[in-house]
Amino acid sequence: MDTSNPAVFVNAELLRMHVGRRVRAVIQVLRSDGGGTVVGKSTDEQQLVIKGHPPGPLSTFVEVIGIADSNQSIRAEIWTNFGDTLDTASYNQVCQLANGDYKHLFI
Amino acid sequence: MYKNSQFDGNAAFSGGGFMPSQATQTADHSFSPAKNRDAQSLLPLTVKQISEAFQASDDKVNFLIDGVDVNNVKLLGMLYDKAERITDVSFVLDDGTGRIDCHRWVNEAVDTKEMELVLNGMYVKVHGHLKGFQGKKQLMIYSVRPVTDYNEIAYHFADCVYVHCHNTRLRKLQDAATAPTHMPNSAVNTTSKGFQSNPSNHFSVQYNMDGLKGIDKLVLDYLQQPPCLAQEKGVHRNELAQQLNLPEHKILEAIESLESEGLVYSTIDEYHYKSTANG
Repeated sequence: MDTSNPAVFVNAELLRMHVGRRVRAVIQVLRSDGGGTVVGKSTDEQQLVIKGHPPGPLSTFVEVIGIADSNQSIRAEIWTNFGDTLDTASYNQVCQLANGDYKHLFI
Repeated sequence: MYKNSQFDGNAAFSGGGFMPSQATQTADHSFSPAKNRDAQSLLPLTVKQISEAFQASDDKVNFLIDGVDVNNVKLLGMLYDKAERITDVSFVLDDGTGRIDCHRWVNEAVDTKEMELVLNGMYVKVHGHLKGFQGKKQLMIYSVRPVTDYNEIAYHFADCVYVHCHNTRLRKLQDAATAPTHMPNSAVNTTSKGFQSNPSNHFSVQYNMDGLKGIDKLVLDYLQQPPCLAQEKGVHRNELAQQLNLPEHKILEAIESLESEGLVYSTIDEYHYKSTANG
């Protein structure tokens, strides 16, 4: 049992609080150039840049887990396709709960 | 008669944890984790919560989380380090809050088939029993399912937050209830005739308890009565002021603090409120 390397739920707003730490975020893919960056829209409707090479074709919604390297970008280690439909509002709410009153349940 | 049935409902469910009971007050019996084996609950948890659970006592096998007996748990996370052996499969579950070791005994073909479907790096939902072994906590898994609808992830964590809230609130009210059982009834009746709950459960307005102030508690109790819970549109602020015999600004303060705790919410407009507890 090991809680030493958690990945915090973030949206664009919360990303800035965790720069340099391991985070997880769901984005809606806007464009992906082959050169190692993907631009996406976070669950709170702001743009995020994801650096890294996705392991395969991406669906509309993707969850990335990695290190936040600036207020607006994440260096992704793990990419997970979340499909083409997702309730971003719920995920956004969970991000806010996980960073707010219920932080102690997560990190 | 209504009072008695309310009471029995509490006695049956108080040891369980997740099941929301109709009234949240238990006057005379003390809250002990050892009671009610029938009321075993399935708790959605994060690995972080499990890491903070502690063992109730040496002779009891179970852990306690938020004051509730932990028997069956459900978690959602990514599966790693899958190792298949002859009679069991072990893996690590990483849900973003931590990693925990899991074991699944495979006795039948059905079990093996289930385990074949899940691969490293997949999001899975597991149900199991929390066990302590040589100082470490481990999960004995009953079922593993791959996640197909990813909305389940947000749902699971929201569920964890909800159950945590529910159990800690239940515990606060029960701790408060067991504390001073000799509170005089006469000091207490700021509530007038619409009330059906047992007056000895109420505390005087000045008494400060764990977390919920006297007035907040009165407002919450009023809103949690079954007739109020049944009303779709909730209760008007003025009704609260009248029934509880309290000035409106006090009601307003109480509502604000309860709203920020997530215990009440406004319904059709900003004057009507309803408790978030289930009927």
